[in-house]
Amino acid sequence: MQDLLYFFQQLINGLTIGSTYALIAIGYTMVYGIIGMINFAHGEIYMIGAYTALIAITGLATLGIAWLPLVLLVALICAVIVSSSMGWAVERVAYRPVRGRHRLIPLISAIGMSIFLQNYVHLAQGSRNIGFPALIEGSFRMGPENTFQLSISYMQITIFIITLVCMTALSLFISRSRTGRACRAVSQDLGMASLLGIDTNRIISATFVIGAALAAVAGLLLGMYYGSVDPLFGFIAGLKAFTAAVLGGIGSIPGAMLGGLILGVAESMTSGYLSGEYKDVVAFSLLILILLFKPTGLLGKPEVEKI
Amino acid sequence: MTLSVKKLATAVGASVALMAAGQAAAEIKIGVAGPMTGPVAQYGDMQFSGTRMAIERINEAGGVLGEELVAVEMDDACDPKQAVTVANRMVNEGVRFVVGHLCSSSTQPASDIYYDEGILMVTPAATSPALTERGYDLIFRTIGLDSMQGPAAADYIAAQNPERVAIVHDKQQYGEGIATAVRDTLEDKGVAIAMFEGITAGDKDFSSLVTKIKQADVDYVYYGGYHPELGLILRQARQADVDATFMGPEGVGNDGITSIAGDAAEGLLVTLPPAFDQKEENQALTKAFAEKGEDPSGPFVLTSYAAVQVIAQGMEQAGSTDPFEVADALRAGTFETPIGTIEYAENGDMESFEFVVYEWHADGSKTLAE
Repeated sequence: MQDLLYFFQQLINGLTIGSTYALIAIGYTMVYGIIGMINFAHGEIYMIGAYTALIAITGLATLGIAWLPLVLLVALICAVIVSSSMGWAVERVAYRPVRGRHRLIPLISAIGMSIFLQNYVHLAQGSRNIGFPALIEGSFRMGPENTFQLSISYMQITIFIITLVCMTALSLFISRSRTGRACRAVSQDLGMASLLGIDTNRIISATFVIGAALAAVAGLLLGMYYGSVDPLFGFIAGLKAFTAAVLGGIGSIPGAMLGGLILGVAESMTSGYLSGEYKDVVAFSLLILILLFKPTGLLGKPEVEKI
Repeated sequence: MTLSVKKLATAVGASVALMAAGQAAAEIKIGVAGPMTGPVAQYGDMQFSGTRMAIERINEAGGVLGEELVAVEMDDACDPKQAVTVANRMVNEGVRFVVGHLCSSSTQPASDIYYDEGILMVTPAATSPALTERGYDLIFRTIGLDSMQGPAAADYIAAQNPERVAIVHDKQQYGEGIATAVRDTLEDKGVAIAMFEGITAGDKDFSSLVTKIKQADVDYVYYGGYHPELGLILRQARQADVDATFMGPEGVGNDGITSIAGDAAEGLLVTLPPAFDQKEENQALTKAFAEKGEDPSGPFVLTSYAAVQVIAQGMEQAGSTDPFEVADALRAGTFETPIGTIEYAENGDMESFEFVVYEWHADGSKTLAE
């Protein structure tokens, strides 16, 4: 019974963290699906989202506003607006001018953008870890008193619900809306879509903006869940989310979701049953194994190569 | 400016004494090397403030062996390259006793030069165990070692008779070193170690680790590392209803922990050097600092003061200003200083350096733990 509760606790820890990986991974996978480029500045967009949310929360607190739903809503809206405009601006400044060149050029440009944003936040906010106020406290508990209890914090539940809502909204948007259809068309064949009258520049911008908005949501959620932000916040999360995207099959949105969850659970099970030191070893070994036996990732389409 | 006036005054004083007494009342140069510039210059200020006060007071009391102490101050910026230059300049100045350097990384290369040139050094701040592991017989400290904090923490934990203890570290030299020392001491005392595990510095998600700590049902969690990770562990542990007491080394004992962990920092235990300036027997000295408008509460002010004293008392006890004879006297004798009575081991480390356990509070203040 004890062991079972422990297992479920680690599973819930893994799913929580995995679902936020998935939110960030979608940004990588959408951009790759459409222009075949890895947006290495995506982790920084996520970090900026977390900082913006923190600034908004602190600002509201100094104004004396403490009604939780309002605070969360304002923080979320601020983070999404700032991150989305940042995503849009990054695409305009760093990627559009070099689009269509040799594929290494946008890659270098992306890495440069990432370094720039990281150091900008270093200068603007300082390099110290800044604590994030714990807004959602408390938890559900299961199991007998005085032994190991399964506890699901309200924060974890919030993360599940918000992630689920975002994923559903994105799926509906991609499958039902006009812009979503255009996104799919551009991802299948950019040149042809352009010939058929789709404004491809607009669609590519939209992709960056959607990815950035989801990253901002993840930034707010993880900032609150972990408890602090620093300018390197986005680097590791970005790396993990990128791994999740590749694991699930880069270019595939359901793949990013699946990859995120698998990665999160693998990490938490490893630190739960082996040791925290092997967490990253297992995560990346998993990636290597899947790439060896299924190079397109779990849900990736085999014919990604476009000529 | 005050410095050069002071130097001039001592020089004038010395030459007056020379004429009056008609004998060679030479002066003894004490090199003081530390950062006056660079990122840790504030620590250097503590060092210079301590040495100036010590030299002033020793000279007022008649000097050493009838001679005056004169400071030769140089700036190494805590940069290993600049420390080498400083060490060479000390040699050229004819300095034979150095108080310094401050950072372990600049003390190491400088000590090679001092050793080759037969210069005795006493570092008031460098805590790396590696410095005294090389068999140099002219290097001493007036500060503890990283490795002394672990046993102090373990003694405290063992005294509370815990059933089980968990030890976590950040896999870095400092953190893992202290954590290992805590584990070894606790095992010697027969305390059960439920887990000993590393985390990755810079990581943010500790939910799995916290679940594991909860499952292990421990009374104490010792963390070897710095505040950013411990802050998050504390917070995530309280969120998951872990009720163990957490403890860490001085690397976690700063206001960063309050900013990150918030209320979860309440009750955290931290080992720190005692507040020497608060001690009863040092009140006269603390007052003398206050009269000069200086603050003796910084961690390196009184260790630097003690470093000068140790050199001066060593010379008195050896009856000589030869660095090798003084070094022998240092290993043989005991020395009364504001940081306590100092005795040296063969390698130049202090036999013991006191660490005390403080309890941290949610508002960032700390009190001595029971």
